[in-house]
Amino acid sequence: MKKKILAVALCLVMVLTMFAGCGSKDATTGGDTITTFNVGFDAEYPPFGYMDDNGDYTGFDLEVAQAVCDLEGWELIKTPINWDAKDQELNSGAIDCIWNGFTINGREDSYTWSVPYCDNSQVVVVAEGAGIATLADLAGKKVGVQAASAALSVLTDEEAQKELGDSFGELAQFGDYNAAFAELAAGALDALAIDIGVAKYQLNSRGEGFVILDEHLNAEQYGVGFKLGNEELRDIINADLEKLYADGTITALAEKYEIADMIILGA
Amino acid sequence: MSIMVMLKLLSAGMLKSISIFAFTLILSIPLGMLVAFGRMSKNKVISNIIKIYISIMRGTPLMLQLLVVYFGPNLLFGMNIAGYKYPAIIIGFAINYAAYFAEIFRSGIQSMPQGQYEAADVLGYSKRQTFMKIILPQVAKRVLPPVTNETITLVKDTSLAYALSYTEMFTLAKQIAAAQTTFAPLFIGGIFYYVFNFVVAEVMNFIERKMDYYK
Repeated sequence: MKKKILAVALCLVMVLTMFAGCGSKDATTGGDTITTFNVGFDAEYPPFGYMDDNGDYTGFDLEVAQAVCDLEGWELIKTPINWDAKDQELNSGAIDCIWNGFTINGREDSYTWSVPYCDNSQVVVVAEGAGIATLADLAGKKVGVQAASAALSVLTDEEAQKELGDSFGELAQFGDYNAAFAELAAGALDALAIDIGVAKYQLNSRGEGFVILDEHLNAEQYGVGFKLGNEELRDIINADLEKLYADGTITALAEKYEIADMIILGA
Repeated sequence: MSIMVMLKLLSAGMLKSISIFAFTLILSIPLGMLVAFGRMSKNKVISNIIKIYISIMRGTPLMLQLLVVYFGPNLLFGMNIAGYKYPAIIIGFAINYAAYFAEIFRSGIQSMPQGQYEAADVLGYSKRQTFMKIILPQVAKRVLPPVTNETITLVKDTSLAYALSYTEMFTLAKQIAAAQTTFAPLFIGGIFYYVFNFVVAEVMNFIERKMDYYK
């Protein structure tokens, strides 16, 4: 009997200690003394945020975030998030910003945005020799697009390319690029609509077999997304981005990740 | 990325998966027992509430339940949920698995012949004694195979923690797969699950043999 009471008591203690973790950590949005900077990113989004060969999270955006933290004396916390739950993560205070190839266009009113720092076009990737050379050739074809991505909003937005999107045979949403490229290579998809930076990384890494169409779907910009109204933090990041561009840090990083032609700071 | 680095990363992720697995099991089995008693309660109010609970837990996706447990406190009450992710995962898994375990335990308890209760009554056993000394030991033996089933499913279900951006083993495998643009890490992840489940099945088999003391 005593043993049983002990067992039940232990279970209770365990549950209670788990709850004790809640609310003990302060989010860094207050503005009084910021010591940590919690960046939310999609760890399946190379070259902007991904896992390097040693198993550490890296990428262009994360390295710039690190440079910002070095300037401010903050500690950078890299939080890989489930992209579908990014708004809940941001609004609940679990992360301070979304910084990961995050397209501004179409989301202008949903977040407080930094200055746009990177140009990003939506492009179409097709298998080589598939006989698709222009966007018009896509009529009736099966086109893949990442769920909750910018490419998806472009193809479903009345003011953007909805007409083109409607001309497709089917607009299929996928979760990750491996599956999407495997389907494209196997002929289950005819084309993929994705960000140009991602397309370049994938084509570099996969070698032959795929081409990017010359015609782009649109031109977009990447920015850092903050919770609506968090202008204090936004202003700090904006100032730092300009500083890091002026001293050449950002250009050097962009060259490292082969996206130098896409940077639009200081323009 | 070398295969050694990949294995090291996935092993570290597997520890996180196993911690979800272990905490869920430790919490959901006693909780499942309580729920089973509630379900069999003569009090109509209690048994109906428990029925609804089991029905919701079994009838909706675990992934959705995890999202509700984690983000619910913030969306409903505006609470700050920093640091609450891991507890939310454990709570979500535990309340879901408790519902399944409860039904397994109920089937075990209700499969006991009425005659045993009557015999125990004649021999002067109290209700508590009857349950603890006669019914429970037999139920434990009987429910072991379905409990093993659930346990093995739980090992694989830990991958659903990715819905809350928790980097357990399979989420890591997916991240490595994305960066390396190959499916190979996913297959290695599959081997990790298989090996662990093999061990789980062997352990359960061992317990089953230990309990077979009348043969």
